[in-house]
Amino acid sequence: MAEQDRHDGLHARGLALRPSFGSALLRSAWPLLACIAFAVLLQLGIRPYLEVFHAKMLLDIGTSIILAVSLTMVNGFTGQFSIGHAAFMAVGAYVSAAIVYYGSFRLFGNADLHGGLLSGMIDHAEGTPILRWADLLFVASLLTGGILAAACGYVVGLPSLRLRGDYLAIVTLGFGEIVRVLIQSQTEEVLWDPEKIAATPMYLWPKYTGGALGFSGLPFYSSLFWAALFAALTMLVAIRLKYSSTGRAFLAIREDEIAAEAMGVPTTKYKVRAFVIAAFFAGIAGGIFAHTTGVQLNPGELGFMKSFDILIMVVLGGLGSISGAALAAAILTILPEMLRTPHTVWPWGLVAGAVLAIALAPFAQKRWKPALTIALVLGGWELMRWFAGATVVNLGVVRFEKAVIDLSSYRMVIYALALILIMIVRPEGLLGVREIWELRPVRSRKAVRR
Amino acid sequence: MTSPTASPSAPPVLNIDHLSIAFGGLRAVTDFSLKLPRNRLHGLIGPNGAGKTTVFNLLTGVYRPTTGTIDLERRSLLGMRPSERARAGLARTFQNIRLFPELSVLDNVRIACHLRTRHTLAGTLWRSALSRGEESAILERSRELLDVLGLLHRERDVAKNLPYGDQRRLEIARALATNPRILLLDEPAAGMNPQEKLGLRTMIRGIRDRFDLTILLIEHDMGVVMGLCERITVLDHGVTITEGTPEEVQKNPKVIEAYLGEPVATGGAHA
Repeated sequence: MAEQDRHDGLHARGLALRPSFGSALLRSAWPLLACIAFAVLLQLGIRPYLEVFHAKMLLDIGTSIILAVSLTMVNGFTGQFSIGHAAFMAVGAYVSAAIVYYGSFRLFGNADLHGGLLSGMIDHAEGTPILRWADLLFVASLLTGGILAAACGYVVGLPSLRLRGDYLAIVTLGFGEIVRVLIQSQTEEVLWDPEKIAATPMYLWPKYTGGALGFSGLPFYSSLFWAALFAALTMLVAIRLKYSSTGRAFLAIREDEIAAEAMGVPTTKYKVRAFVIAAFFAGIAGGIFAHTTGVQLNPGELGFMKSFDILIMVVLGGLGSISGAALAAAILTILPEMLRTPHTVWPWGLVAGAVLAIALAPFAQKRWKPALTIALVLGGWELMRWFAGATVVNLGVVRFEKAVIDLSSYRMVIYALALILIMIVRPEGLLGVREIWELRPVRSRKAVRR
Repeated sequence: MTSPTASPSAPPVLNIDHLSIAFGGLRAVTDFSLKLPRNRLHGLIGPNGAGKTTVFNLLTGVYRPTTGTIDLERRSLLGMRPSERARAGLARTFQNIRLFPELSVLDNVRIACHLRTRHTLAGTLWRSALSRGEESAILERSRELLDVLGLLHRERDVAKNLPYGDQRRLEIARALATNPRILLLDEPAAGMNPQEKLGLRTMIRGIRDRFDLTILLIEHDMGVVMGLCERITVLDHGVTITEGTPEEVQKNPKVIEAYLGEPVATGGAHA
């Protein structure tokens, strides 16, 4: 039996139970290939048929998912309250931007988009290859940004993760502001003269990032491919973490730090690990954000408001739920845009709501509850739309004119109200600590237990 | 497997030598020495405030002793973090149950297996062959432990939903999962009814034999201590009054005095 050879017992048994190299490789690699295939399909197969506005929204959703899911690893898995996630995003964004912008000048003499079909949100010229060398520059910049953000995560995390709760929150908040102010206080303008750039050594690039004016003129490399690829990779890493021995050690820290330590989990080390992984992906999200069409990289956008946006996604999705965080990231990215033009999107909101209601009903303890909630939401939505819509209302006999309210100017108020409403109805977040694939219809769950 | 009483010449598993700790002027524990040979079931008793829990906290690394040494199989535990002590082979349960409440029974035990794995973080993320193999080994071992403690049928339940007695047993299963040499039990019988206490005695002896363990327990319940432990140390005001077999301890006038004439019940009776 395994208990004879004490300390190596489990490891030895693990070696014995190890699957063959080939089967392990296959099972480890296929999700990665699936991620790539999904991202390619989205960019090459679906994007050409989408309106620019909708494609851009999908790209934003991808970035939000990376941010929310990576923060889930810290706030959801290890239960540490970090509210400076945008700082890591800012580090990644500026590093990536500097590398792509000045690197493009060095390599191509200008900062235009030189990518292949998988980069950018535009229709490329006939005969453009799928990938070009410029794409390699972009990926390298993303990874460098991620690694530097992770390094910042290590430097910040190592001393501060000994703190708990409110204290850690204050430290991370402070760090976020330091990063923002440091970027903002740069006084040098972005260089645009190729000769000057050629004369500037690489280590001085971070100096010329525009400060408070923002870093303008970046080529828009970000595409559905890159966003979807890294969003899928982030989720894959999070899922593989959660369902693993290491990930369970993370969860143990959230559940009871003292007990986790007594059971042999080096808590500080593991908290730092979670922090570093999360910072890495936040840095990548920053790089993608910096090169998104229509974004003018500005430190003001990456302050604590952004951190709170990410935090809200994590809390709303359910602390610890990967799919919940992704779902909340999608909803909270779409919602403000939908509220901008409420009368153009309503039928789809209605359809999506009805589908969601039908899909959720079997999973609830009281079946009528989600249906009722969604009916209420839709009713409210329709009422809003009605207020904002036609100026003349014809109710058969009675016919009166009503005041037109420009809903788009109240959209942030409605957004905030929606958040409050959701937190009242479901304080544990959309999915609680569970995942979408862990939901079971209520009746069969009872049948399994008895 | 039986529990052979180790020969006197064998080195002790746990060797505590002249352990003292003072909080400011208060000397909570003074000159506490204890040698536990392999497979010993040792009890630590004393009236409230005697310093039992302080000794436990010194052993598990919550406090640093002012003087003295703690050696586990000749390795000094001083200066180690609690997680390093667990790795060295010291496992514990908690007086006020500290499970991972929102996680499943199975996950509670699996977490404690983690410290014996060797695959890296990269191996985890890539799902290397070794990580898959060790993951299977963890599952196998956790199920085995849950089976021994009679909790296998509840493996999918969330830990906080278990009844009290099951939670206590789950804590022991979790401690065993770290594959310890010595197990520290902090009032395992607290809150149990007489029937459960009887079961507990059989179970503790059973796991000692099965897992070749050395066990040190703190307990208020005299029935459990006297019926279970081979030797007992009595503390009062941080000082060791006596050490001996249950019979010797019960007859010792100092012990009776320490408990202020409170009758010390014999085995089987409840507190």
